[in-house]
Amino acid sequence: MAMIELENLTKNFGPIKAVDSLTLSVDEGLTVGFLGPNGAGKTTTIKILTDLISATSGRAMLQGINVLTDPKKALTNVGAVVETPEFYPYLTPIETLAYLGRIRGMHTKEIKDRTKEVIRQVKLEQWTTTRIGKFSKGMKQRLAIGQALLHEPDILILDEPTSGLDPRGMVEVRGIIKELKKEKYTIFMSSHLLGEVQEVCDKAALIDHGKLLIYDTLEKLGTLIKVLSLEVMCLGDVSDSVLSKVRAFSNVKEVARATSNTFVVSLEGGPEERADLLQQIISTGVKVTGFTTVGVPLESLYMDLVKDSR
Amino acid sequence: MSEQQHHARKLPTDIEHIPIVWRYELLKHFRSWRLIGSIAIAALVIALIFVIPLATGNPPSGTDKAVKLFVSGPQGISIPSQGLLLPGNAGLINRSVVVVSSLEVFQDGVREPAANWTFSSSGGNIIQFTHDTTGHTYTATYRWHDTLESFASRFVGFANLLIIICATFFGADAIVSEYQARTGYLIFPNPIRRVSLFLGKFGASMTASILVISVFYGAAAALSFISVSGLDKNFLTSFAFALEYMLAVMAIAYLISTLFKGTTGAIVLTFFLLFLILPIIDAVGSTSGFRAWWSVTFSAGVMSNILIIPYPVDSVSDIPSAGITYHNYIPDPATSALVMLAYAITAIVISMVLFRRKEMTG
Repeated sequence: MAMIELENLTKNFGPIKAVDSLTLSVDEGLTVGFLGPNGAGKTTTIKILTDLISATSGRAMLQGINVLTDPKKALTNVGAVVETPEFYPYLTPIETLAYLGRIRGMHTKEIKDRTKEVIRQVKLEQWTTTRIGKFSKGMKQRLAIGQALLHEPDILILDEPTSGLDPRGMVEVRGIIKELKKEKYTIFMSSHLLGEVQEVCDKAALIDHGKLLIYDTLEKLGTLIKVLSLEVMCLGDVSDSVLSKVRAFSNVKEVARATSNTFVVSLEGGPEERADLLQQIISTGVKVTGFTTVGVPLESLYMDLVKDSR
Repeated sequence: MSEQQHHARKLPTDIEHIPIVWRYELLKHFRSWRLIGSIAIAALVIALIFVIPLATGNPPSGTDKAVKLFVSGPQGISIPSQGLLLPGNAGLINRSVVVVSSLEVFQDGVREPAANWTFSSSGGNIIQFTHDTTGHTYTATYRWHDTLESFASRFVGFANLLIIICATFFGADAIVSEYQARTGYLIFPNPIRRVSLFLGKFGASMTASILVISVFYGAAAALSFISVSGLDKNFLTSFAFALEYMLAVMAIAYLISTLFKGTTGAIVLTFFLLFLILPIIDAVGSTSGFRAWWSVTFSAGVMSNILIIPYPVDSVSDIPSAGITYHNYIPDPATSALVMLAYAITAIVISMVLFRRKEMTG
């Protein structure tokens, strides 16, 4: 069953098409990454889905209900974190969750039980009675995720959930999302952090200029990756002549020395080409101690597709 | 979420959502310095109005003891600054209200029997003697106080300012702050209609404002009972008009809040529109000969005028030295009530429509 469906969704800001006939469907229980460069239309799409802005045309369905015509009903089973939300500074986390819980129709006991649970989940147990005005950005972001989970919605919509967090905060938030995946939430998250998407998502949709460029499982997207960066570590120093030989191998686009015994190869092709390269490097006489991909594999696909669309 | 929970949970209706928002918005006001500040302003205004006349020797009530009663023929009327003045064998007490039960009259230091004089407060506080007063010295002792009307008028005149402050504090940034402070990203993606949010917020703003205005009117009423032994009979009508004016200016403040993108602009415009711009237009009407009956600030004059008996009417006076004719226009109570109601309804409806359409961009 499609939990989120976008049909020819279009949003114009004057002459600018922020979202251009976007059609996309997210099935139940999947975690889908929504990728794109700045200004691609990710946040605009999410804002339409969460009734923050209207659409120029098209449909945005949540569990079969059009959010453009009946936002109250469509958002009943949705938890959302859009941009970095601010909280009412005069309320404590417990009061904020009680407020939102009541709006969402939760009973007092249910609010109490779930508040305890989500506060634990987002690790804010020691701050339950502190007014949010005193919270750091990271704490607010964790609470934002907590409020989205409060009513155990079927759909979670997260707009760059790790944006603005320090590395530790990012790891914590990614950990929370991974835990949620196990609980079979349908998660639709925008990000421009490709590693993040690769780490937590089942599928990824890439948009640019408001148009969908590609949407598939990460495995299938992996097969489309044309160029990989491979780090080769050797026993002892690597001479320039070895690097020249590697440069001449088939499918090698570029070779760069990293340290005296390490170099990085940009290789066009898939697993077969990778295996051939390793054999060819060994045939030069160097002793290879490490042979790993570097960077995020999705990055090269992203760069190719975005470059093509611009 | 389990199917069981799905079924057990019932989303509040649009009307049920209003008190939820109302409650938490009110909490905001109760925890903010603005409510404390506006109550402090109300208390300060009350204190100043009450204390300054006391400090300058003009209390609202008191006792005049053994005040000499000048008794002379009609040609020799003496007019003291306070106390008694009299034509012939009658004395006029120069105070607003004399407490008759406390009035004692003395002839040459000996109490004059009540049968020898009568007191009348119609057309002034007059003591009429039943005998010839020639050759005697008369004094009087009595308690006196301002009229209930004049005492109440001292305070009610400042209610207008307080109402504008409340609208500015509790309404001017109520909507725009959701956008500027980005709290809209938290509250809007919820199953709640903007109209419920609007009405809940508006209700909370009105509650906080009514609290402040009630403190002001309540303190004024208490001082009236203490100082002048009663309360003007139209005081509550004035309070009712104050609440209606509060509703109208709060609606205007919300409209400005819905239109603006920044809180500072909304706050500044709300205050200056109600405190300066509209009153200037009203004042220009007085010198230019047009009656700004449609102005909400002109209509607010009914709060004070309703205390005056009989209700004042328009008047015109020439100021030859300035070469102008000054029109003192008085707002009609019924028209004022309708004008304020029209402002309230129109501004609320437009604000709700705009709020529903306002997008969370940026």
